Amino acid sequence: MDNLIFHIDVNSAFLSWEAVYRRHILGETTDLREIPSAVGGDIKKRHGIILAKSAPAKRYGIRTGDTISDAKNLCPQLVLVPPHYDLYDTCSKAFMEILREYSSRVEQYSVDEAFCDMTGTISIYGSAVVAANMIKDRIYNELGFTVNIGISTNKLLAKMASDFKKPNLVHTLFPEEIEMKMWKLPVEELFYVGHATKRKLHALGIHTIGELAKTDLNILRAHFKKYGEIIYAFANGIDLSVVAEEAAPNKGYGNSTTIAFDVDDEQVAKIVLLSLAETVCTRLRADSVMATVVAVRMVTHEFHHTSHQRTLLTATNTTNEIHKVACKLFDEMWDGTPLRKLGIHTSKIVSGDSLRQMNLFDMDRYEKFSKLDLAVDRIRDRYGVDSIMRAIFLNKHIYHMSGGIPPEKRKVKNKEGII
Amino acid sequence: MYHMPVDVIATFNVQGRIKPNYIRLEDEEHILRTYKIEKILYSREENYAGISALLFCCNILRGECMQMINLKYHIKTHQWVLVKEN
Repeated sequence: MDNLIFHIDVNSAFLSWEAVYRRHILGETTDLREIPSAVGGDIKKRHGIILAKSAPAKRYGIRTGDTISDAKNLCPQLVLVPPHYDLYDTCSKAFMEILREYSSRVEQYSVDEAFCDMTGTISIYGSAVVAANMIKDRIYNELGFTVNIGISTNKLLAKMASDFKKPNLVHTLFPEEIEMKMWKLPVEELFYVGHATKRKLHALGIHTIGELAKTDLNILRAHFKKYGEIIYAFANGIDLSVVAEEAAPNKGYGNSTTIAFDVDDEQVAKIVLLSLAETVCTRLRADSVMATVVAVRMVTHEFHHTSHQRTLLTATNTTNEIHKVACKLFDEMWDGTPLRKLGIHTSKIVSGDSLRQMNLFDMDRYEKFSKLDLAVDRIRDRYGVDSIMRAIFLNKHIYHMSGGIPPEKRKVKNKEGII
Repeated sequence: MYHMPVDVIATFNVQGRIKPNYIRLEDEEHILRTYKIEKILYSREENYAGISALLFCCNILRGECMQMINLKYHIKTHQWVLVKEN
């Protein structure tokens, strides 16, 4: 029996969820999905990009990732609403719960996408297209938002199919349909092909997925090495990965923050790094893991990106230790140009119960620091993240735990209606 | 323009069945009025945006006039709202 895989994708997720909430919970008469609208960051704090847009907004040429000012230029009457991540969490959970009723093998691929292994369900829910339409309609009737479902025999083809025509549609892309439905598409539509690859492929005269599929594999290997083999297989509809119910462990933990002002002072930058180290290390400790590689990333006021990393002698999740390394990396990299964004990323994650290798050069009292960190984590768990903070953040414009989703973007406030 | 939060007196039976009996809200002259819920025509569970609520379609008596209203009970926040009719 052939495998049967569904890929279910929420249509403009953040915007749809925001629209359903306003329509059904608050009782607004306007439906955000029917007017030019978008969910976007906060212009005042310079988090000004479009996170999701409605279909009418798309017709004005607004794309996800555009700056808010660009979007407003394209469509002056665009209705902008701030994001509320707690709501999206609730929507996402309810969405996944419905999918789990239909299949015991569901892989949550992101907040608004999932793969369902529907192999062998034909006797329960009928043929594939019938079953997919039933799931799609049930999600709309119960939760109030629309989804696209792609059907095929593997994850890649199912994902490609769910992207065909939107919204609220079911598409199939079985192997025998690849030539007709997928090969005519521009090569950048292929999963895994990004902007840089697109340019390289164009330079080789490869413009459609079909052309890529028929290219000599040796040519692709010569230009792209191992990655060439992957996109060649994908262009031919080959994907051997299975629907994985359990999420793979994180390969890295990182947080970054766009600062409300340009930083030109070393001390201030280091305080920002401390607040980032605090957030990253709290996450490492919460998952009982430690990191071996620390990287600092910065973006200057002219949007120039740089990063610098170092492997530690021993893995750690102590805030002070990561901060110290981050400061060293920062000193080696920074030339005094004003900065708009700073980030700390950690990788080479090892499980937290691995023993700490003592070495001669650890002069600081890390054991005491890690005990302190644990105590602080427990206090924050019980009384909230703001219940305890380092004194250096007092009377500063820097939040003591930067990066991730700030508290004001989590919950919906009633006054934020559009009417 | 929105659903209106309202005060409600409700009864809960031993099986957890919820029945609104009275609602209280402000009228056009800014006086608080209490209305008895005469009859519940139907109720259903809703889960829009993953937020669970119970919808009650009921009749209240306003003077001589029987009026149909929709009340919603938000299970998580324990709030009652009067559904705005579009």
